[in-house]
Amino acid sequence: MPAGLSMRPASPFRLAGGSGRNWGRSQRGAARAGWVLSLPALAGVAALLVLPIGQAFYYSMTTWNGITSTWVGPDAYLQLFEDPTFLRVLENNGLLLLAMPVVIAIPLGIAFLLHEQIAGWKFFRSAVFLPTAISWVVIGVIAVRFYALHGILNSMLSAVGLGFIKTNMLGSTHEALAALAITLIWSQLGTNTIIFITGLAALDPSLAEAARVDGAGPLTVYRRVIIPQMIRFIQFAFIITVLTAFTAIFSLIFVMTGGGPDYGSTTLEFYVYQQAFSESAFGTGALLGVLLFVIVAGISVVQVRVLRARI
Amino acid sequence: MLRRRSRLIGGLSVIAAAGLALAACGNSSSSGSSGSKITLTFWENYGTQLSLLNTAKNLIHAYEKLHPNVTIKMVSQPANNYFALLQASAISHTGPDLAVMWTGLYLPPYADILANLRPYISQSTFNNIEELQWGAEDFNSSKAILAMPVDAQFYMGFYNKKDFAKAGIKQVPQDWNQLYAACTALKKVGVTPIVYGSASASYTGEFNPWYDFSYLMIGALQPSQWEDLYNGKIAWTSPIVQDQLARWHQLFVKGCVNPDALTDANNLGQFISGKAAMTTDDGSWDVGQFTQEMKGNVGAMPPPFSVAPQHGVVYFPGDAISVMKESQNIPAAANFLAFMDSPAGAAQIAAAGLIPDIKNYQSSNALNSQMLGFVKSGYTVYPMLDNVTQPQIVNVGYQVLPALMVGQTSVASAVNAMYVKHNELPVAQRSSYAAYFGG
Repeated sequence: MPAGLSMRPASPFRLAGGSGRNWGRSQRGAARAGWVLSLPALAGVAALLVLPIGQAFYYSMTTWNGITSTWVGPDAYLQLFEDPTFLRVLENNGLLLLAMPVVIAIPLGIAFLLHEQIAGWKFFRSAVFLPTAISWVVIGVIAVRFYALHGILNSMLSAVGLGFIKTNMLGSTHEALAALAITLIWSQLGTNTIIFITGLAALDPSLAEAARVDGAGPLTVYRRVIIPQMIRFIQFAFIITVLTAFTAIFSLIFVMTGGGPDYGSTTLEFYVYQQAFSESAFGTGALLGVLLFVIVAGISVVQVRVLRARI
Repeated sequence: MLRRRSRLIGGLSVIAAAGLALAACGNSSSSGSSGSKITLTFWENYGTQLSLLNTAKNLIHAYEKLHPNVTIKMVSQPANNYFALLQASAISHTGPDLAVMWTGLYLPPYADILANLRPYISQSTFNNIEELQWGAEDFNSSKAILAMPVDAQFYMGFYNKKDFAKAGIKQVPQDWNQLYAACTALKKVGVTPIVYGSASASYTGEFNPWYDFSYLMIGALQPSQWEDLYNGKIAWTSPIVQDQLARWHQLFVKGCVNPDALTDANNLGQFISGKAAMTTDDGSWDVGQFTQEMKGNVGAMPPPFSVAPQHGVVYFPGDAISVMKESQNIPAAANFLAFMDSPAGAAQIAAAGLIPDIKNYQSSNALNSQMLGFVKSGYTVYPMLDNVTQPQIVNVGYQVLPALMVGQTSVASAVNAMYVKHNELPVAQRSSYAAYFGG
């Protein structure tokens, strides 16, 4: 660095001819003013976010029935992991996670097709987005009729000569969760497709063209050029979908299965409700809520790290 | 000076008199008998249960007619988280004046937010109520009264008379063997013997196994032994419980039950239309609908889940109304409940097809009379099993028992889940019914 040059940016106060002491005082004043002006926002965040989270964490270590609470301590967490129902519920969440690649892959494929402007793409773009505009409760009611023994699914199977496959997925401990997952995949189709269409529209077309000039086929172009550029969008869609699957399909479960049979479709989110609101075990509900938060945050962090390593 | 003082005294007297008059007005109006306008808010969780909804509407209409200064606003709340909402509203002081409350072990967790009705309702009214203790503190009717029963309810099975005649069934089944035989006969003539589903559940819209489970335990245990299930002297895993549940599951195995027992949303429709001959997970709340749509073609039958002839019946005031402790109109709200359990109120309840919970009531409805006849003819009266079982275990039952019925889980696994939950409960919640208060 040449002598006499400083990395410190010129201060407007100095330019105005103020002394160093005045500058320091003004800086401190500005900092104080900043803090004072931030106080309302900080108070809001503390009251609406920090305090409730702190309370939830505190109550997670109590037996709180909504009115009175008794301190249990960290043992509450250990006791929960001895509960076979809780382990079953965790397993259900894990199984639901298996649907995530499908929730990503199908919309990605549809987005590619729509991006290529296949015949009728404008219609299909609207049609695919339609499920997003329907409430979970309505989706649930439709799904119940779809999966019923005398419902649409079995009628369709009969119509194509597969009447011997009579299913009653919602009445089955092992299939109810699959029915939920399929419904989730359908309901997320619109959101994820729109995310991917937006991503594809934002890509630099010259890279794909260069690859084609170099002799790459369409599949290679997608696999080697387009998908790597889409990683950020895939990451975003994945996180949004995991959040939805873990924290936003309560109404779907409520309407379709009530969490049964035999906890076969009870997820952690629904178990929070069952404990807190059906059994008035708000302490256990808070505990499950804290765990749900940790799990979702953990999955998101791992997923971001994995994809970042690949980029 | 003296004149000024006498004027002062006179003035104070006028103010005092006015004050007393106002106080008197306040007292009389707060009981709802006359005076200023009172609006009472009433929360209910009846969902689509028309008979209960109509009962509430009838009662309110009749009461408002008698007390023009009182308006009762009925507010529907979701059935599944009703009690949590009620509790939250009480904590935040935004609750109603009147609220639907369930009796038995559903009551104690909310005892702290409910008003004691004893000071506001006459003893003669209390004396007239059947099984009042299930709405009282410590389940002792001489203590605080926290909930006033609306109607006396039966968990009950019903059968289609034409279907039985078509299958040549001359006698209503009374035990397991007769039930299996009836099942075979009905299947031969193309009728589903027993239909289950989600439509007959009184509140939740899910398959409710506790109606059948009550009769399974009636078939195996005496009323006094039910408290042993509660306190663990008879474990949920005991052979007597497992044996009954295994026989229940056999109904599904033998094809006596519709294959979509857990999910059929039209099970009542199938019974009413005659496609199915019996429904057992049902109760007195559907009598109005059956009477209207099936006329004389329907009969009541205690589900015969017993090796010996079934001789017990669930007869219990499960549904009640309470006054919230934080209500500003406790006397007026209590006055409404006193009316509900008076002869005038009973007429309104009966008009909706239900059985008023007053002693020696005689119903003009044939099905209701038949059910009351079981009690009069000496059938052993039992409470609703889910009202005398810890709610935590009831919730487990909602999950595991339907799965057991359709063979999705084993008997041993289902009862073990209930047993485990029982052991997790604090000791105070598994000693005596009364100890559940404050436990």
